[in-house]
Amino acid sequence: MSGHQSWFDLNLGISALKYIGEIKNGNLTAEEFISKTIERIQKVDSKLHAYLSINEQAVEQAKSIDKKIKAKENVGACMGMPISIKDNICVKGTKTTCASKMLEDFIAPYDATVVSKLKAEDTIIIGKTNLDEFAMGFTTEFSAYGPSKNPWNTEYVPGGSSGGSAAAVSALECIASLGSDTGGSVRNPASFCSVVGLKPTYGLISRYGLISYSNSIEQIGPITRTVEDTAFLLNIIAGMDPHDNTTIDNQNENYLNDIDSGVEGKKIGIIKEMTHEGVDKQVSAATNKAISNFEGLGATFEEISLDMVAYSVAAYYIITATEAGSNLARYDNLRYGYDFDSEGYEFNSYLSKARKNFGPEVTRRMILGGFVPSAGHAGKYFLKAMKVKSKLTAQVNEALKKVDMLIAPTVPILPFRFGEKIDDPVALFLVDINTVTANLTEKPAISIQFEISGGLPIGIQLLGKSMQDKMLLQAAYALQNTVKLPEVPI
Amino acid sequence: MVSKEEIEHVAKLMRIEIDDHVVHIDRIQKMIAYFDILDKANVESEELIVREQTIDALREDKYIPYDGKLIENLKNYKGSYVRAPKLV
Amino acid sequence: MTKIGLEIHCQLTNLQSKLFCSCKANYREFSPNTNICPICVGLPGSLPMLNQKAVEKATMISMALNCKTPEKIAFFRKNYFYPDLPKNFQITQFDAYGPTSIGHDGKITIEGKEIRIRRIQIEEDPGRLIYEGTSEKTQIPLVDYNRAGTPLVEIVTEPDFDNPKQVRVFLNILVDLLENLGVSDPTLEGALRADGNVSVEGGNKIEIKNVASFHDLEKAIHFEITRQQSLVERNIPIISETRQWDDRRKITISARKKEEEQDYRYFLEGDIPWVKLNSDHFKKLREKMPESIASKRERYVEKYGITNQVADVLSSDKYYADLFEQSHDEKNAKEIANIITTDLMGFVDTREKRETSKLTHQHLTELVNSIMDNKITRNSAKTALQEMVSTGKSLIEIISEQDLDNVSDESTISSIINEVLNEEANAVQEVKEKPETVNFLVGKVMKKSKGKADPSMTLNILKKKLGIT
Repeated sequence: MSGHQSWFDLNLGISALKYIGEIKNGNLTAEEFISKTIERIQKVDSKLHAYLSINEQAVEQAKSIDKKIKAKENVGACMGMPISIKDNICVKGTKTTCASKMLEDFIAPYDATVVSKLKAEDTIIIGKTNLDEFAMGFTTEFSAYGPSKNPWNTEYVPGGSSGGSAAAVSALECIASLGSDTGGSVRNPASFCSVVGLKPTYGLISRYGLISYSNSIEQIGPITRTVEDTAFLLNIIAGMDPHDNTTIDNQNENYLNDIDSGVEGKKIGIIKEMTHEGVDKQVSAATNKAISNFEGLGATFEEISLDMVAYSVAAYYIITATEAGSNLARYDNLRYGYDFDSEGYEFNSYLSKARKNFGPEVTRRMILGGFVPSAGHAGKYFLKAMKVKSKLTAQVNEALKKVDMLIAPTVPILPFRFGEKIDDPVALFLVDINTVTANLTEKPAISIQFEISGGLPIGIQLLGKSMQDKMLLQAAYALQNTVKLPEVPI
Repeated sequence: MVSKEEIEHVAKLMRIEIDDHVVHIDRIQKMIAYFDILDKANVESEELIVREQTIDALREDKYIPYDGKLIENLKNYKGSYVRAPKLV
Repeated sequence: MTKIGLEIHCQLTNLQSKLFCSCKANYREFSPNTNICPICVGLPGSLPMLNQKAVEKATMISMALNCKTPEKIAFFRKNYFYPDLPKNFQITQFDAYGPTSIGHDGKITIEGKEIRIRRIQIEEDPGRLIYEGTSEKTQIPLVDYNRAGTPLVEIVTEPDFDNPKQVRVFLNILVDLLENLGVSDPTLEGALRADGNVSVEGGNKIEIKNVASFHDLEKAIHFEITRQQSLVERNIPIISETRQWDDRRKITISARKKEEEQDYRYFLEGDIPWVKLNSDHFKKLREKMPESIASKRERYVEKYGITNQVADVLSSDKYYADLFEQSHDEKNAKEIANIITTDLMGFVDTREKRETSKLTHQHLTELVNSIMDNKITRNSAKTALQEMVSTGKSLIEIISEQDLDNVSDESTISSIINEVLNEEANAVQEVKEKPETVNFLVGKVMKKSKGKADPSMTLNILKKKLGIT
């Protein structure tokens, strides 16, 4: 035991930046923090089910980092902080299941680029987090291993698909997490669990090692408790990758520098189609309060109409189903997967049997993905969806010539109970209406926790210009400092 | 409305058995029906926006052997082949 | 009218790495599944990284076949399930949104006939299947992914061929062209493959797949024309389908009907942004492009007075053409061309022989210059050439070891001639009556001198001694 802080008042709720400070000051050791985190996971995760697997070597790894610190050797910037990784991102030598029975036995033989970068900075990968199977869903109810619960009220969904990541960060089961965002899968659970979630500009973060669902629109994104921590993680994981042809050179941008530069003089557009119709009253009130807080900081507002938003969810589902139908075709159980012998089967009937291990939502989207781009239907569905995507992009680009960024609630409704929406696919579609635009247009978007209404979190979303993720972080930081939220009840 | 038979046919093409998943049909029909909204989007004349790169951004042609025996991490047959179900 | 079209797959064997990963492009030397990585076996989370050189080589093929090349190329996914396809889709090119394949609308002329090239596309080769088990019903496919991801260029022609002979001529020219471009080694097994389609008057188009060699393709096309014509004669409708060549029975058999044709659900490959090909790219490649076979042939004939026939052989075989280019100068060009296309050809007519040959272009220059300077006879040169190919020894070494230097000393030749004249009294008589038979005696002198006597000097002395002209 080192420093003057006692074991019992060690605060697992500190930010990444605070953690680093405490380690540097000698007030804390990585081993203490990791042991305490594991204890916390053991205590709360039976209720939350945020994790699918835990790193059994975490304490050993922490000890070796402490040793390096003590010996004044070079230590990576993360200094042993515990970070969890969504279970659709490859961590070498660990099970990477995508919360699917289809990949029950798949052990990733390599690290995703983001994981290599985190490891290089002496992060401890504390565990792999739950998700909707192959990231298809908004509640984690489609996880083949059972749903995660919302730490604010365990009868409520944590959002998804990165629900395990958001729940783990919110419930102090790790300092930060990496999720993936295809149509809101980082921002939606961040909003529902009252944490920060960023979907960066498409191409800012390498997708190498992220198991593709809809590769043309998805990105890995950090989930943290503070905006500064998101900036800190972005500094580590963003940038060009020789393993991903779609990455963009960010000139080694430092996202933490000038994070407190404020929003004075910034023009913000209020997206009309995302703030009126279908928006829950409390969510609407919170959005208005966020706008007025921003105004208090010197930002100005105008309403912006993006009429393509009305078609965005349909376009999103068509594009994602098409890509998913192709991306998930490789799961034929011949090279890896789960235990099911092909002896005695004919090729096609074996595949059809083996692929029954996909859960119901994935199965439905596979079928949609076989249907909408097929020769007879591509014109009516797929091509139109691509054109909606293009027109929506043009509209957002046009809007961002007039204003610096756009604002809307992250999700138009409050977190809901398990089973409430799962049976009505079209109602569930509309949960995504405010988040899919950033994916379809490749723009960065961030969700910041802003209010707890009747015990349930509400998040505010900002959407910015391509490669101006930094400006978004600055605005989010300013907004974050206008509110003081209660501590997580669990 | 897309017919049950058509959905079953596509499921077969996608190599997923759905015989015990009749519930899928209704949901898929609802989802496809929802997509009809695109008929009102009036985007037929829209140009596709695509992502681009220059040829210099492409990978240099260099042989770098993979570090490790990958086949050992895969389901393998007699240590070196991947076995497939028979084709006839 | 019979119409035949072709789809040719050419592996870019001269590349170092595969199309989307750094595994080796030439997979032939590896034991099963040892030339693989997460990308080429399509492991979850892996992404394709397009090979720059593959785009360059494919552009060259496109230009050499007089195709139009787009300003941007796009990649698509062709979706189907098969055990040799690790991702259960193939990354290829497709023209869904205008021409975005590496080439389109090209043409080449063969024997006065124009063959149009519809499209040229870059794509990845699947893995290979081998079968365990003896009877067809119990065969278990085993997959080797070493080949998966090998860079391929597919060349699709319009159905412009009238008969199988044109197909053969076209394929021969195409093979030479690809080899000359330095993109592919046609002698490597499986480097070049072709499928065909055939339709006859009054019938629908039939695709022929699964043909192992160009030679088999010609046979399969022959078979199809005959089969289809006989169906038409008997008024049996020809329904569009894909047929396979059964090499054992030498017939084609139905593989699948048109209505069973797969829907490949082509759509854009999002992991590879469209590649912009600016004018600099084309300019740079044009400069890098080797001289075409036609241009070489023309130059050989016009500049050096080489005969058309010799120029044809020389220009169309990259190995010979390269040897020629390196060894010749203004004076010896014609003689070098002749040596290559007569004597050398017999020694290096296969891939294996070329690989083991120790002959260099310096050898060839030295040898031909020695012939021209009368230091060695044409006959001895052939012996020396064979020795150079097998041992790589220098000409001087070979001459001294084998005693091959030219005899051009008048008295020595004269005494050999005297011996021959004594021994061949009958022949001498005949030559005096029919002077054109003198070569028989020249041959005898050459033989006696072990090929070393200078042939023109021998002839002159003989003529003088026999009093003929």
